[in-house]
Formats: sequence, C-alpha cells, structure tokens
Amino acid sequence: MKKHNIHLQPLGKTLTVNDQTPLIDVLHEYGIEFPCGGKGTCGKCKVKLVAGEIETTDIHRQKLALLGLGAEWRLACYSTCTSDITLEIDQYNHLILADESEFEYSPQRGFGVAVDLGTTTLVAQLIDLATAKVLAVETMLNPQVKFGADLISRIQACIDGNEHELKRLIRFNIGTMIELLLVKHNVPLHKIAIVGNTAMHHIFSGFDVSPLSQYPFDTPHLHAITFTTSELDWNFEVVGDITFFPSIGSFVGSDILAGIAATGMHKNDTYCALIDLGTNGEIVVGNKNQLICASTAAGPAFEGTNISMGMRATTGAVSSFKLVENKLIANVIGNVSAKGICGSALVDAIALLRKQDLLGIFGEINSGESTIELIKGISLTQKDINEFQLAKAAIAAGLEILCQSLKIQLADIQSIYIAGGFGNYINSSHLVETGMIELPVTKIHKMGNTALIGAKMFLFQDANTIDEIRSKTIHINLESHPNFQDIYVDKMLF
Amino acid sequence: MNELLVQLLEVVELGKADQKSPFPPQLKGQDGASELTTKALEAGVSPQDILENALIPAMDKVGKKFAENKIFVPQMLMSARAMGAAMLVLKPFFASGAIKTKGTFIIGTVKGDLHDIGKNLVAMMVEGSGWSVIDLGVDVPAERYIQAVKEHPGAVVALSALLTTTMVNMGQIVADIKAELPDTFVFIGGAPVNNEFCKKIGADAYTPDPQGVVEYLNKMAS
Repeated sequence: MKKHNIHLQPLGKTLTVNDQTPLIDVLHEYGIEFPCGGKGTCGKCKVKLVAGEIETTDIHRQKLALLGLGAEWRLACYSTCTSDITLEIDQYNHLILADESEFEYSPQRGFGVAVDLGTTTLVAQLIDLATAKVLAVETMLNPQVKFGADLISRIQACIDGNEHELKRLIRFNIGTMIELLLVKHNVPLHKIAIVGNTAMHHIFSGFDVSPLSQYPFDTPHLHAITFTTSELDWNFEVVGDITFFPSIGSFVGSDILAGIAATGMHKNDTYCALIDLGTNGEIVVGNKNQLICASTAAGPAFEGTNISMGMRATTGAVSSFKLVENKLIANVIGNVSAKGICGSALVDAIALLRKQDLLGIFGEINSGESTIELIKGISLTQKDINEFQLAKAAIAAGLEILCQSLKIQLADIQSIYIAGGFGNYINSSHLVETGMIELPVTKIHKMGNTALIGAKMFLFQDANTIDEIRSKTIHINLESHPNFQDIYVDKMLF
Repeated sequence: MNELLVQLLEVVELGKADQKSPFPPQLKGQDGASELTTKALEAGVSPQDILENALIPAMDKVGKKFAENKIFVPQMLMSARAMGAAMLVLKPFFASGAIKTKGTFIIGTVKGDLHDIGKNLVAMMVEGSGWSVIDLGVDVPAERYIQAVKEHPGAVVALSALLTTTMVNMGQIVADIKAELPDTFVFIGGAPVNNEFCKKIGADAYTPDPQGVVEYLNKMAS
C-alpha cells in the first residue's frame, strides 16, 4: 500500500501513514480536537495546509465557507491523506493539571497507580504506597475525543457501532500511560484505581451504554468492576486488583465519589458543596448524614466548545483577565500571543464587563453591538455571553435545587469546593460576581483535580469507605424538579 | 389605534406581566399586561382586537429579536409570561368562541427526553401568534401525539428533542403518526435537529428557532 508523510509544524514531527488515512485518526494525538464529533460544524479541528494537496469535497468546501475559512484551511474531520503534506497546527502542548496534594493514609507496601479517566483528559499517577508520594505523572487527552467532546456524542458513537473502538482506544491509552510511568520508575505494581464518570466506566468496562442515552437512564451496571491485565491487553504485571470504582448514578460517576472522599464532606457535620467545573458540571451538596448530587449541562462553555474564540487551557489561551485603569489585561498561557480564551478567562471577562457596565442584567451588550472586544484580536459575541449565561445558570440552579431537596438554604452551606480542569485558574470572586455561586467568596475553596486525589486515596482504603459514601449519596435529575425552568431562567440574569 | 393597545403591546414586548412584577425596572409600579388587558376590555375594545393588534404583534417583535440574537431566553420568557397574563384575562372569550384562533398546535418533547425549555418557548410563541396550543409535556410517546390529533382533527404536531440520542426517536414517532393519520403535518425542532434529518425521517418541516415555526404556521393558515 502507498504511504505518505505528514509533516506537522511547529512540532517538527513527521508521521508516515497509509494512503487514504483520515486525518481524524492520526491528528488527535497531537492535540487536535473534534468537539462536534466530526460533523464539520465547530471548526475546532481546522489545520492550515502549508504544502501538498488535500482534496476537498463540495460539503467540505461548504463547511469551510460557513466557518469563514480561506483556501489554505482544511477541516481535519473531513480530510484524508492522499499525498505528502505539511500542516501547521497550533492546538498542541496541553497543560493538564496533575495534582500533588497531601492526605491521611496508612502506609502499605509496594506501588500503585491512580487514574482519573476524564471525558476530555486522562491523568495517571504512580504512587509509592509506603509514603503516598507521587513518583511520576502522565497526562493525555482522552483518545475518544475524535468522537465528540461531550458525553452524549460518545454514547451516540457507541450506539452507532463504535463501542469496541472506543473501548479499545481508552484501554490502550491508559495502558500506555501506565507503561510510561513504569519506564520512569521500574517498580512492581500492586494495584490500580480508576475513577471516571458512568459513561466512561461503561465504555471502559464494555457495558452497554444505551440505557444512558435516554430517560429514565436506568443502567444495571453502577457497580465496581475489577480486571486482570490480560483482559485489558496490558503488557505489564499487577500483583493485586485493577479496579474501576462504582458510580453513584447514571450521570454521576466514581470521579465524583472520589471527589467526595477528597473533600471529606461525607464526614462533616456542616453542609458542604462540591462543584466539578468539568464537561458534565456535577454538583454534590450535603453533610455526614446525607449527600445529594446531580449533573448539569454546564461544561461546553467552560471547555470552550460553544464559545466562538473558546479553547481549553492550553498554549495561547487567555487564562485570566484583570482590570487595570478600566482596561482589560490578559494573561496568556505559554507567553505567546493570545489565540482564544479558556473557561477561567471567560468567567473573568463576564465579571469585568459587568463591572464596567458594558453588559446589562439580561446579558445584553449595552452598546447594541453584536460583539465586544476584550483585548486586541480577542472578542466575545452576544451568543458567547448567552452561552455563558446558560452554563452559569445550570450551576446556580443545580445548587439551589439540591439545597431545596435537602430542605436547607444556600447560606447553610459552609464550604464550597471547586474542582476540575480550569478550577485552579479560576478567580473565586468572579464566580460570585457573575452569580454562578451566590455565596460569600470566603466560603469558596479551589481543590484542583478532586477525582485524582480521591482515586489516590482509594488505593489506601478498603471497600467500606466507598460503601459508606455510596449509601449516603442519592442522585437526582434536575430537569424533573417542578420549578426547574423558572429557577434556571432566573439564574441566567446578572 | 387605541392607546391602551399601544401600551399593552409595549409591556408585553418588555415582559411586564402585572403591576407587581419588578421587571423591567423602568416600568416599576406601572400597569402590566394583565391590568391593561382588563382596561382595554372595559373600554370596549374587542377581545379579537386585543389579540390581533397588541399581543400578536408584540410576540412577533419578540420572536424576531430572539431569532436575531438581540434578546435571550430570559427576556423572551418574560414576554411570554406577560402574554400569558393577558391570555388569562382573555380566556373566557377563547372558551366562548368570541376569539377565533388560527388552528390547533400540539407540541411535546419526544420519548426519552426531559428537556422542555425549548419546547416551552415554541409553545408560547405559537400561542402568542394566535393559535391554540396543546402542550403534551416531556417524554411523550407516539400514542399520545396520535390521541391528541384524534381529539383535535386537523391539528399541527410539533416534536422537540435536545439530545442526539433522543432525536433518533423522532423517526419512529413521525412514522407512527403518519401511519395512523397520514394527513397530519409534523414539525420537528431542537438543538441537534436539522433540515437533512427532517427530510430523512419524513417530517414535514424544520425551523431553527421559534419565530420560524410561527412564520411557517402563519403561511399555512393564510
């Protein structure tokens, strides 16, 4: 079969691929993402063709025209490789948070791996079980992103017959990450703890995801499951168990179970809340007697998917804005020129635009223009602002409804923990000022990747702790609350 | 035109349901849609006139602004609430037949899906354009649409879905409705839906926003 070379700039990498290889198959490893699942609607997988030819179909040309992209651009999701080509890609160098937190533990012998299997990012840490120290970290993008950014598109991809491919990809990548950890430290592994949301749990384990695709979302597989390395096609040895921890409900998985463990909220007398500002926006509220949790559709805006200049927290993203003498000043990740804004900067921008009285209470741009320039070359559209309102209202309404279910007031919450990828960059005061969290800023604590912290703790805990948290935690569906719409819409206002 | 109708049009467009409602701030303490409708009736304006010359044009303006991204969901819902307050006053005239509606519109979110805000927005806009609306709620199976059409012969049906995974249920529901009642006109809508999908499953029309449905329906009725 004919082979072609793909040169990637500015990485300086060359890939050799078979004739007719779809670019979607080879580029996602280099940080190209496919948030819309290859439908050609989001334009996030655009690549600049520097040399060579990629033929375009009518539909490809239509999509490029709709996105306002000129002749040098191609959408990777619509492209196949038929000759040697050179591409310029700038979606590289992902910064994935790896946590270094400390916690209480009883020393054990040997070494373990904690894995946070996120919808968007994967993190694996090699832990010395005698000291609980992190020896090494590996991070990767979830290889399933080529099937779409959100959970529903992954579930849809499985239903469309790709379930084996999604399972193979995720098992392979996690196996690879662990091998890379072992290359850094050649130690015997005693156990592996994996946490992730329910859809990731099902796909990794090979369970049918179709119950997760529609109401009433009842799946028989919320339980923990253990594997052997041979079942997973992993070429290294593990003395003890490889465990994927149990889910709480159909849309709240062991990543949140781990988050609860990391915050210790299940042991607290006072009420606490945990908000994971990731793709699925899970929220937990409660104390040592009872915890109630739900997922919200908050993620896409925070992950940059529905924001015109939105991107994840990677090189070139504005990570924060501050107001200096009535002008916005941007901090850009990697000290390069700004290419877009990530979730934390979006929160900053909205809060500061409100402060400058440039946005009204309905989120309308007061000048009447359809866009608003933040700094040179970076702007928000009216639609972007509305997307943010949907996301912040989802979180605020979720908090309110969970408090109502517990028959407590929002003000009864003493501590609120913010977790998730961009959680650490976020300015807590701005969360309050935008109305996403209607509590004093002093109650907000940024926790980083609580799923990973919890997974690490699970390496040291027996099943009782996990059963204890699960038995206290119930899962509700926010949309079925009778006043959901009124609460949600009220929270869209500023 | 009657000054009260001009005022009513304005408060519905701005989303002031009644005197007590705090929004919008610039109309604080003034009459809202409810009071103005009562006053218009007392002044001898016909219910049909109130509908056609105040409520329908107000919602038409709101729908157009929403379609152009000039206003967003909260403002649209406030206008819809204001219209609802006026409709409540007019309700007896709908029941007695003193107001003629353009037809009956049956809407629901399809089986497997609980999302109803988009569906509600369409329902309110269509009601505000002078149709009588029957809202079947969420998680609606084919049988309930069919039953509703049988109870309201000639009614137009609209199916809503927010998820790509529930959108697929539309195909079967459209097929079931068409098998039982082949002349029924079926709209589909929702974030993942598009015209291609509409054609593929044999539905009759797709529009990307509520105003599109209103304009389509008005063409059908004229």
